[in-house]
Amino acid sequence: MKLHPGRLFATAAAALAILGFAPSGIVHADAENEIVVRVQDQTSTGATTSKLPVAGAVIIVTTTDGAEVTRATTSAEGLASLRVAAGADYVVTLDLASLPDGSTMIREGTERIELPASSFRTPVKALNFFTGQSADAARSDFERIAQRFIDGVRLGLIIAMCSVGLSLIFGTTGLTNFAHGELVSFGGLVAFLFNVTMGLPFFVAFPLAVIVGGAMGWLFNWAIFARLTKRGIGLVSQLVVSVGLSIMLRNIYLFQFGGRTRPLRSFSLQEGLVLGPVRITPRDLTTSALSLVILVAVAVFLQRSRTGKAVRAVSDNVALASSTGIDTGRIIRLVWFVGGALAATGGIFRGLDEQVGFQMGSSLLFLMFAGITLGGLGSAYGALVGGFVVGILVEMSTLVVPSELKNAPALIILIIVLIVRPQGILGRRQRVG
Amino acid sequence: MDFLSIIENTLRALVGIDAAYFALAALGLNVQFGYTGLLNFGQAAFMACGAYGLGMTAHYFGVSFWWGLVFGLIYVIVLGLIVGIPTLRLRADYLAIVTIATAEIVRLVVRSVRFKHFFGGSDGINNFSKAFRDLNPFGVGDFYGIRPFRFSGYTLWTLLVAWALVALGSLFVWALMRSPWGRVVKAIREDEDAVRSLGKNVYTYKMQSLIIGGVLGMFSGMIFALDRGSIQPDNYSRDVTFYILTALVLGGVAKVMGSIVGPMMFWGLFVFSDNFLRDLTDSGPLRIGGVTIIQSTQVGAVNYMLVGLGLILLMTLRPQGIFGNRKEMALDGR
Repeated sequence: MKLHPGRLFATAAAALAILGFAPSGIVHADAENEIVVRVQDQTSTGATTSKLPVAGAVIIVTTTDGAEVTRATTSAEGLASLRVAAGADYVVTLDLASLPDGSTMIREGTERIELPASSFRTPVKALNFFTGQSADAARSDFERIAQRFIDGVRLGLIIAMCSVGLSLIFGTTGLTNFAHGELVSFGGLVAFLFNVTMGLPFFVAFPLAVIVGGAMGWLFNWAIFARLTKRGIGLVSQLVVSVGLSIMLRNIYLFQFGGRTRPLRSFSLQEGLVLGPVRITPRDLTTSALSLVILVAVAVFLQRSRTGKAVRAVSDNVALASSTGIDTGRIIRLVWFVGGALAATGGIFRGLDEQVGFQMGSSLLFLMFAGITLGGLGSAYGALVGGFVVGILVEMSTLVVPSELKNAPALIILIIVLIVRPQGILGRRQRVG
Repeated sequence: MDFLSIIENTLRALVGIDAAYFALAALGLNVQFGYTGLLNFGQAAFMACGAYGLGMTAHYFGVSFWWGLVFGLIYVIVLGLIVGIPTLRLRADYLAIVTIATAEIVRLVVRSVRFKHFFGGSDGINNFSKAFRDLNPFGVGDFYGIRPFRFSGYTLWTLLVAWALVALGSLFVWALMRSPWGRVVKAIREDEDAVRSLGKNVYTYKMQSLIIGGVLGMFSGMIFALDRGSIQPDNYSRDVTFYILTALVLGGVAKVMGSIVGPMMFWGLFVFSDNFLRDLTDSGPLRIGGVTIIQSTQVGAVNYMLVGLGLILLMTLRPQGIFGNRKEMALDGR
């Protein structure tokens, strides 16, 4: 087999050039001010008042007409630091939904503080928020469980969407792609590029970003993994290559985008609709419905269409599929494209839900792995079911465990599944060791 | 451009504490990945076991510093069993998935507010290393050696201990791999079924290898904590394992020399790139024809980008690294 290191280099260089010199999303403000926020919980017992820091409270800075500028979450010390461009008027809001259950502002209306440009006498402005217990904020157990369940469904749909590609890539090529999280981030970041940096309307930016995300998946295969397979490089080595790819891409994103998270311009602040016991924003309702439609479409495609059947055949047994005349190379390219596009869609929805950042995908990777292992490695339906279950479990677990540890139950599931039923819920029964 | 100081810093990095603790962790990873074929992506968690083993002696248990070795060993064995029992009977990539997940959870638990009482939360643990400092034979304020290898008394002390541990660890791994045990684990890497058919308990050997590598990682974490004088949970993030893996592949997998020279080269190159780029962007962003190429806040990202690119190119073009043997890198997960 002839080696083509030169071609590999050229490809990598081309990919780097495309990524490295795409229009930068970083806004370089000349002067920046810092807003330091402290959130404290006040409890009065008799004559003494004790103050405890509140961790995990979300602070949102908007302009006076409501466009979000930045946001941050308070640390264990109850502190958050936000950087804003100098010389403009801002409004700082504490997101009441992010407070622990039963907690609200000690005085109503103090969650919103106006900050005119003139209030910055020094580059650093300190603000205090005081929270406390309120009787009316205490929701019933049923309401809290219902709310967590709905949040879990939203997260589960996103994880399921992101992990279909991961599972199918594993099924068709045997590769455990550790760079799949970067495909998710890529979707969110490209959507940011189109929507915010270039100012395209969201409904143009969204499909464009999905297509570019699919192209990125296809590029992974064409530029790297197909070549490695052709050169007879083992799957473990390919796995390590995907780790390198993940590190490289994540840092390219950091280089281009910076370390902060930013909102996609559209739909970033919405009032929640109250539907029975739960509260959900119209944006989240729409993305969840859309996710469901997309996932059902993927399932129908795999179940009914000729190509979909071919995908499942290759995923089941490459050699057998190949011998029945299926072009396995074409199927693998298709799987990478579709997987990339679905991951990008998941990234965009996640970006709408939370924010866009260079680590948004890699922080989901472990949940995706838990999902596809639960569902059965290599099975597309397994990824759908497993991702969905893991999402619900992670959100529901916050009823019992502290929210900072909500990913831990996913690990426990992962370990139990591997001990009890290593092939997962829908995996093929085969010897996996 | 100040070439002299860049070269001095690079030379110092070759023997610096970062290279030493990476070398210890890489030795451990070599036992697991290089010799046995186990994809441990959670070496950072084993390092955290060592660091928190030391730190908790003072912070929580209030016992002598030297108990840290016992605690560290217990943590490593518990962690090894948690990740090993469900995965070591399965295909190689399951271990990778579970170790990466466990390492992340370990980091979240030790930095959590809930367990702050035990692990110090996101502040970490300070003030635990007095017993080690008291043993320092060198003057704390004095400097020793000739440029560029000039170190303060405490740094020299940790460096000596660290490299002595690397030497002992290397000798141990070298002897281990020449022993019958070493031949069995290498055979497991090549063909697990063949070894099983010879009546060896593959599962037990893999578990032993995982824990021996983890113990070497534990010493690495201890050295790192002692040098910094503090334990920060975010120093044990998932990427640390990947950087150690890159250093190991650079040196050469399944070679003892590879896990020493690899980390030295890694840090030499890393510090060179870092110093060079910082020097370049020191007096404002680097512009070519009005286009900003790089500014000082982006230097870190470029360094790590190069680490990732380096790992890709090494694995595709020279998987045996500097010292390795290509045949020993022909791993396959299926």
